[in-house]
Amino acid sequence: MALLEVRDLSVRYEPRLHRPLTAVDRVSFDVGEGEFVGLIGESGSGKSTLGTALLRLTERPGRISGGSIRFDGKDITDLPEDELRAHRWRDIATVFQSSMNSLNPVVRIEGQFRDAIEAHTDLRGAAVTGRVRELFEMVMIDPRFISAHPHELSGGMKQRVNLALALANRPRFVLLDEPTTGLDVVVQRSILDNIRRLQQEQQFAVLFISHDIGTVVDLSDRILVMYAGRLVESHAAQGLLRDPLHPYSKGLLGSYADPREETIRITYVPGRPPDLTQVQHGCAFAARCPERIALCGEQAPELEPIDDGLAACHVARLQRTGNPDGLDLPPRTVGFAGPEFVKTQEETARVLDREPFLRVEAVSRVFERRHGLRRSRVEAVTDVSFGLRPGEVTALVGQSGSGKTTLARMITAVERPTAGRIRFQPEDGPEVAVESLRGKGLRDYRRQVQMVFQDPYSSLNPTKTLEYALTRPLRNFRGMTAAQAREEAGRLLERVALTPSSRFLGRYPYELSGGQRQRVVIARALAAQPRLIVADEPVSSLDVSIRAEVLELLQSLVHDSGVGVLYITHDLLSARMIADEVLVLNGGRVVEQGPALQVIRDPADDYTRSLLAAVPNPFADTLVP
Amino acid sequence: MSTGVVQPTDRGDLPVEAPLEEASSTPPRWYALVWGNRKARVGIVLLGFFVLVAVLAPVIAPYDGARTDFEALLPPSGAHPLGTTTQGGDIFSQLVYGSRTSLLVGLFGGLFATAIALVVGLVSGYKEGTVVDDLLSFVTNVALVVPVLPLMIVLVAYSDVRGLPLLVFVIGITSWAGHARAKRSQIITLRNRDFVTAAKFSGESTFRIVFREIMPSMTSLVAAGFVGAATGAIGAEAGLSFLGLGDPSSISWGTMLYQANAQGAVAQGLWIWVLVPGLTLALLITSLTFINFGVDLLSNPHLREE
Repeated sequence: MALLEVRDLSVRYEPRLHRPLTAVDRVSFDVGEGEFVGLIGESGSGKSTLGTALLRLTERPGRISGGSIRFDGKDITDLPEDELRAHRWRDIATVFQSSMNSLNPVVRIEGQFRDAIEAHTDLRGAAVTGRVRELFEMVMIDPRFISAHPHELSGGMKQRVNLALALANRPRFVLLDEPTTGLDVVVQRSILDNIRRLQQEQQFAVLFISHDIGTVVDLSDRILVMYAGRLVESHAAQGLLRDPLHPYSKGLLGSYADPREETIRITYVPGRPPDLTQVQHGCAFAARCPERIALCGEQAPELEPIDDGLAACHVARLQRTGNPDGLDLPPRTVGFAGPEFVKTQEETARVLDREPFLRVEAVSRVFERRHGLRRSRVEAVTDVSFGLRPGEVTALVGQSGSGKTTLARMITAVERPTAGRIRFQPEDGPEVAVESLRGKGLRDYRRQVQMVFQDPYSSLNPTKTLEYALTRPLRNFRGMTAAQAREEAGRLLERVALTPSSRFLGRYPYELSGGQRQRVVIARALAAQPRLIVADEPVSSLDVSIRAEVLELLQSLVHDSGVGVLYITHDLLSARMIADEVLVLNGGRVVEQGPALQVIRDPADDYTRSLLAAVPNPFADTLVP
Repeated sequence: MSTGVVQPTDRGDLPVEAPLEEASSTPPRWYALVWGNRKARVGIVLLGFFVLVAVLAPVIAPYDGARTDFEALLPPSGAHPLGTTTQGGDIFSQLVYGSRTSLLVGLFGGLFATAIALVVGLVSGYKEGTVVDDLLSFVTNVALVVPVLPLMIVLVAYSDVRGLPLLVFVIGITSWAGHARAKRSQIITLRNRDFVTAAKFSGESTFRIVFREIMPSMTSLVAAGFVGAATGAIGAEAGLSFLGLGDPSSISWGTMLYQANAQGAVAQGLWIWVLVPGLTLALLITSLTFINFGVDLLSNPHLREE
């Protein structure tokens, strides 16, 4: 008997004013004692809803509409809250998705541990403090922080505290819902290593929910793949890497590659997930699937054993367990047979001998803050110099706090450097001193420098149509009439592959997928015909399955229009995919600078090496053909 | 091979871009949301009734509200459904015509106060930390702490002409400050959104950014502010009229109460004269408050499931 047995679990949302939807649809799986199970899927696939349901924390308008959850043989699906309390935090613990905010800001850390420990054990007084000390050592935090308030801790430390708190009563099952989202790669790496080590020592079972396939594959024994509310594959981690069964799993794996390779290929899954408020006919993934056959549109596949895993896919089943009716099947593949983005080594050299149009010369930025009578100086950026060339992508890589955003703000003239010069050469006219722009000069400069933001969900005004968003810069900067602007807006949409544009112009951002929104943001940036686009983490908030789609678009625009791109990221893989030149920033200083492949393959600086080591690398010991 | 996208060639029917389905989860329209709330529905029906009465006053009322040539102190009867006053006015007709004043003051007083609050609140919030904000915030703070009722009384008492426009003006300029505060804090949370930065990079002017980009995102707050301001204006008009500072030439529920009080209606046992205008006033304000429950749903989706 498994520790956690989930059978046919369904969770339905029935809001009063929207159409109801089944977010989790007849999901069955087990988690064995001491097993580390990963759960992946893109946003909206129902993975967090499933996690919440397992904890019995589903809130209105959602409810568990069917199936059962058994923990250690006991059915907890309908257990009253009072009886649940005995299990919560003693048998079942969790680290929440938003755990940066899940510590009570007005209670000292020790008090929060004390609550959790005293509620479930006989430990009191100094014994509790001893236990907290022990837990702190376990997650490698200096015990002097025991009596601190949460705001005195950094993000990574808070997350460790949350982990320690989850483990306070030696639970048998821990649910980790995206526990490191929003943390730096290096911090993320050390927390995940910590989790894995503790799990092996203490043998608690884990269900690890994440959209980042790299980390999941790295850590888990077995992996569940979820799509549109259903489980589509359950497979041992090595088996999934070697021979994924479901095309969607292949798509997710294909979005991942080793940045050190000479030629990198990443695939993306085109389209968007189905609308769950509509009745599904056949397989939910069929519309996006390169391997689909006629049967997929007619009959929904069930999750059933295929080879050494479980999968819900007609094609995989027929390919592997025999094809009695002689249906015409696509060839058996390991990779995702969808669109692919390939990065080779050639162009870079050609681009690098062009003349720069923007030169950053020995720029520094110091922030002064006053704390009561004391003054503190923070050097956000120190003595940075580099140049941006037309048709080139320069990646600015570093973790948060490395000064990369401050540098970008100075280049876009949002902020002024305290020392140094930034010189911009327009196509015609004299050189511009960016650091001292104001008024009309600033407005003219803004036309030349456009931005692509991190989160496409907040960078498009939710109350305006795409036509409005795209025509404004056209009318402001290029003096077009309303009719001309509308026509040009259509052309811009076609250029970012949103076709036919007439169907998109009148739409609102909420009608688009994340990838489509980011394309609109890019189209808006192009509208002003800039010389430079500053892209601040343009793919980090997107699902892995569609990241390549946006990178590919940026890449082709750079290629065609000769615009320069400053690509700001903490993610070396995406930097490698798109950048010609890489600058690694640490503590406000450039520690390494050079052609992308060279920096990533032979890092000269320790910091670059630690960044590289933090990149999860599931393919390290598996050869993918 | 060069860098770029490779489309697999062996299967030509690959969906490169899945077809865009028709928008299926359109957010509910605002009127559907407000109407969906039971309290708001009661409020809307009630307010609709008052508006109907005000518009159709000449049809509904048996006499002109200003007439005072009836026999004084008649008990309720077929000719005078609620009886007559000590001066010989028909109480029912006064009541019907009085609804016009209350609704007009509510509408224009609410609009005026909301307009001031919007301009002051949005501009000072968007310019937070600048001299403009310091100045506007200072004015707002002064307006907040000035005792409103005495100020209104002084303003009205020293004006040469009394009339509805004066009342609307006085009520407007004494009641905007709280709403301006609310809008200022709201825009401070909105102005750092990426889409505002994007609008700056699209070359938009500050005016357009504030009123075209940001304001639509706070429609529900503006609407709630308006309903609140209208409620306050109706109450303020009744209060001023009750103190004898109203428009002497027009009839309102406040002036009815003023006259009833001046003639010692309670002492004489003329309950209807006092009770009826007070009750309708209370009902009108209740209806607006109920509507505000519905407007709250627009800004706070969590309330929608209750």
